[in-house]
Amino acid sequence: MIECKGVTKRYGAVEAIRNISFTAPRGQIVGLLGQNGAGKTTTLNILTGYMPPTEGQVLVNGMDMLTQARACKRAIGYLPEKPPLYDEMTVRSYLKFVCELKEVSRKEIPAHLEEILSTCGLTDVSERLIGHLSKGYRQRVGVAQALCGDPPVLVLDEPTVGLDPRQVVEIRGLIQRLGAGHTVIFSSHLLSEIQQLCQRVIILHRGKLIREADMAELTEPSDVLVLRAAIKGRQQELLPAILSLPCVRRVTPLKQAEAGVTEVRIECTRNTSPDAQTALFRLLCAMEAPIMQLISEHDSLEDVFLQATAAE
Amino acid sequence: MFSIWKRELQGYFYTPVGYVFMGVFLLLSSVIFFLTIMQTRSSDLLAFIGTMSYLWMLLCPVLTMRLLAEERQKRTDQLLLTSPVSLPGVVLGKYLAAVTVMAVTVLATGLFVLIVALYGQVYPGELLVGYLGFMLQGCAFIAMDLFISGCCTNQVTAVVAAFGANFVLWMLDLLQSAISVSWVNALLSFFSLYERSEPFLMGQFSFASVGYDLSFAAAFIVLAIHHLDARRYRGA
Repeated sequence: MIECKGVTKRYGAVEAIRNISFTAPRGQIVGLLGQNGAGKTTTLNILTGYMPPTEGQVLVNGMDMLTQARACKRAIGYLPEKPPLYDEMTVRSYLKFVCELKEVSRKEIPAHLEEILSTCGLTDVSERLIGHLSKGYRQRVGVAQALCGDPPVLVLDEPTVGLDPRQVVEIRGLIQRLGAGHTVIFSSHLLSEIQQLCQRVIILHRGKLIREADMAELTEPSDVLVLRAAIKGRQQELLPAILSLPCVRRVTPLKQAEAGVTEVRIECTRNTSPDAQTALFRLLCAMEAPIMQLISEHDSLEDVFLQATAAE
Repeated sequence: MFSIWKRELQGYFYTPVGYVFMGVFLLLSSVIFFLTIMQTRSSDLLAFIGTMSYLWMLLCPVLTMRLLAEERQKRTDQLLLTSPVSLPGVVLGKYLAAVTVMAVTVLATGLFVLIVALYGQVYPGELLVGYLGFMLQGCAFIAMDLFISGCCTNQVTAVVAAFGANFVLWMLDLLQSAISVSWVNALLSFFSLYERSEPFLMGQFSFASVGYDLSFAAAFIVLAIHHLDARRYRGA
């Protein structure tokens, strides 16, 4: 578990983050979301003890990062934005060094190393020089070093940036697996990634925490169902007809993309009987107006994020 | 601290730095050996050691340039500073690694002593004192250059700045003879590492000089630690 209490960091006159407080419990994946320069990296650097906060306190499993730094740091594995790798070392010797830094007992190191190498899919390249590895492998070595010493808290700063789509899927899979037994905090500016992996989201904007909530709570469907439809037919006839349906609250025409096709945004009440899609289908059948496309809009994290940051 | 020391020591020999330091040191010291011992047909090893001490000025920056500057440049300091090792542990580990490479290289010059012993007279006590002073001087230079490496973000800046600082230290001796104001003179001689090692080069063990060299080294190590810590607070 990791707690951040009223943390502020000033670089001279510049305030990088202001009064940030949150808690990441064990067994949860917490996503730190924000635009570039929102203060994500600063927050993570403070959480991991790389730099002390100007004000506030960081507690790792109840221990204070300032006064019990050694015990706190042993409990945290950190993958910074740029993996801290020594190019002149082999993967194995590097990970062994990290294990020694993390005070893993000498006897346990060989078995622990093998486990980490296989978890991260690095067994095949374990004897290669880190400097010769591709970006994807370097990132994996970065994740592997965070796992050394089996810390209960993992802090990952944009772990999937710059990877190819397949590697992104692999790293996400790895994070998901790790999430079960660890506290994982990871930052990203990719909304879909956060939506896919996290149970809890923290949104930072210009150094301030503007929203903290469970994923389910954030993207919970409201009682309004929004449909987008492209229908063959004239706008003047279609709009009043759709609006006459009992479940429809509002119809707004969208920009016409194709001649003879009307595109509309329809706001309906959810959970009516028959449901909105069925009612619409029946109506348009009767009017002999074929539906070219019909999609329902989800209330995505993107909307939440845009709303939250726009409000500031 | 031990793991940092071990990695740095390996690092010297994973990269060419360790080999370059040892190679150039031994090459130059053999030239000095040729000039001071063989050519003059003398067995005065203290003169040999005295001349070798100018090598510190030239070569210590090579040994220290990577130590802290590279960590910062490659951002590997994030690994060290978020590990359970304390900041003093990190700096001391690195310092001791550099001192170890220095000491091993100096031990290799024992070969020259053997050569002299074969053909002339060696006075072990005098020689040991000479070597002690020589190594302590090296330790002092390494500490200062390590501090400079900590102030730089780039290895090239670190090596040039360290060389400049070493050069100034050496010039103190020259300045001192040129300046006749007594208190300036006293001040300059206080900071002169070369003047401090004069007793050793005469075969005299001097507690004052040992103390000076050690505290000179300690002061710069403490400064380096303090500087790194301050930088964490500033976040630069």
